[in-house]
Amino acid sequence: MSLNLLLVEDDAVFAQTLAEELRGLDHCVTVAVDGREALAAVDSAPFDAVVLDRMLPKVDGMAVLERLRGGNMTLPVIMLTALGRSVEKVEGLEAGADDYVVKPVAAAELSARLAAVVRGRGWTGGSADTIRAGDIVVSPTKFRAWRDGIALDLGKLEFKLLSEFVANADAVLTRAMLVERVWGYDFAPTTNIVDVYVRHLRVKLTAAGGRDPILTVRGVGYMLRG
Amino acid sequence: MMRFRSLRALTLAFVLAFLVATIGTGFAIHTVTQQTIERLVDRRIEAVSDEVAGTFGDRSPEELVRRINAATQERDTGDIGFLLLDTDSRRLGGNIAKLRRLPLGFSTVAVKDKIAGLSAGRALVRDVGRGMTLTTIAETEPFDDYNAARVRIYLLGFGSIVLIVIAGMLVFVVTIRRRIGEMRRTVDAIIDGDMARRVPIHPSGGEFAQQAMAFNRMLDRISELMASISNVSNDIAHDLRTPLARLKSQLALSLRRAETDAQRDDLEAAIAMSDELLEMFAAMLRIAEVEGGDRRAAFAALDLAVLADEVATMMRPVVADGDRTLILDTAGPAEIFGDRQLLGQMLVNLIENALRHTPPGTRIEIGIATTGRTAMLMVTDTGPGIPADQRKLALRRFGRLDASRHDDGHGLGLPLIQAIVRLHRGTIALEDAAPGLRVVIALPKG
Repeated sequence: MSLNLLLVEDDAVFAQTLAEELRGLDHCVTVAVDGREALAAVDSAPFDAVVLDRMLPKVDGMAVLERLRGGNMTLPVIMLTALGRSVEKVEGLEAGADDYVVKPVAAAELSARLAAVVRGRGWTGGSADTIRAGDIVVSPTKFRAWRDGIALDLGKLEFKLLSEFVANADAVLTRAMLVERVWGYDFAPTTNIVDVYVRHLRVKLTAAGGRDPILTVRGVGYMLRG
Repeated sequence: MMRFRSLRALTLAFVLAFLVATIGTGFAIHTVTQQTIERLVDRRIEAVSDEVAGTFGDRSPEELVRRINAATQERDTGDIGFLLLDTDSRRLGGNIAKLRRLPLGFSTVAVKDKIAGLSAGRALVRDVGRGMTLTTIAETEPFDDYNAARVRIYLLGFGSIVLIVIAGMLVFVVTIRRRIGEMRRTVDAIIDGDMARRVPIHPSGGEFAQQAMAFNRMLDRISELMASISNVSNDIAHDLRTPLARLKSQLALSLRRAETDAQRDDLEAAIAMSDELLEMFAAMLRIAEVEGGDRRAAFAALDLAVLADEVATMMRPVVADGDRTLILDTAGPAEIFGDRQLLGQMLVNLIENALRHTPPGTRIEIGIATTGRTAMLMVTDTGPGIPADQRKLALRRFGRLDASRHDDGHGLGLPLIQAIVRLHRGTIALEDAAPGLRVVIALPKG
């Protein structure tokens, strides 16, 4: 997914390298160095999403976010912060940020999260009776899943993981995103918990034959081919 | 110098000593006064007796009776009692009708001697020749019930003094207790993480206010020091993480431009190292955040047994992947009050810790039990354990043990666990599971 992004970051070196990396991932990036410039840019051109540093000169990141949300802007916003305090994260999300990321963030991680917020916050459950990706069907209401018509025997967490993959088919999900969404933790376990669960899921998905539908994106995360 | 272990013991001892001294003084005054009065009365009855039965002149019974009658008529000696008896103790004269037999010389008479109009007095019996004895009696009480009145005065006077002193002591003790209580509550609040608490200062001034001000100045100073430490860690976060983040992006850029596999491998290793450093900063900031105590505001009731079951279910595939087994042993619910996220992280870290420091084939057991007011969480492994002399070091930041230096991990796992336990007002102990390590965490029940 190629996006038109506004990156608001006062650290010139960090902004430049991040912008270059994001451009390398096929995004179009405009850089603003302070809050005032950011607000002006948003008024003058249409963006798909904004990456907003929390600490900014002139108009602070939180103030920019409040100004955007106050003006009824539904533009997706991902907040960037140097400090990973939970209180700040809650504050940011309550002020209307779609996601909250601690610096430094890899461009691939940021790109995956941007794609997710632009798609809308992914699978919400309940809206549809079943969701589908290729030959995989998941029924959130019945808590059951099938591949090629054959029922899969999944644990609770494996089911949640598969649902997340199916709802975000053909989009990269990073390990951090999966920990947050499937396991519901705001910290990253140091063990390879995501990898272990993905491996178990792969075994169950390919037990009755068929090719492995989960693609490993090296150094970033996983993607389910739809 | 005697030592008193409590304010109450000191007060009791003081009041007791004061009571003894007051009662002693009362008795002494009473006795001395009594003796003085008796001596004066003795001198008077002796003089009167001399006058009546003087050595000069006629000492016939008739003459003695006449003198006695004359004396009883006189104003000066009208209150004196006389009794003249002959050899056979028959009454010859005087104004006393009947009297028990008194010894020669001075003696004390009282109400029980049934002398009309006399409650307490002194008597002098002397031989006046021809076998006759003359008894002279005078009152020692200037008015009726004088003695009782005196005792009443003592009781009222000394009693009120004693009461005032006891009341004063009580006020004193209560005041000191209250001030000490204020200080203790402040200290407790600070231990719980409320660094802004101060001892209230009473506008009246005085020693307590000065003490409170000195205490508060000390707290201000500690706050300043803590703030500067916390600034340092925030500065580390901001000023060191930012260049590290730049370094990492620069390395990522170089990796994309790398031309040979060898270059790529080197750059990937460098990126992994910068990730490790960033993880260390994240762990340090996490500890600082937990130690700050802010998260206590979000505490909620939860069942530790249910949480442990969730985490065990989640971690079991990871543990099995590492060729180890995870066993959960819970006996009923263990309701506590806490932060679900942090307690979950604590359990995950404990299991990760056991995984990291034990050989394959190890059994890791999580036990939940409740005793009285505490919920106990025990994580036991059958690995090599930690020698007793190194257990303290294991809880210290970066306190990695020599044997584990070559392992991965940054030495902040147990300190973070300890910070989470402290936030929940619990305790953590490392024990020998013979063989292996047992981490015992006690949390207050909710």
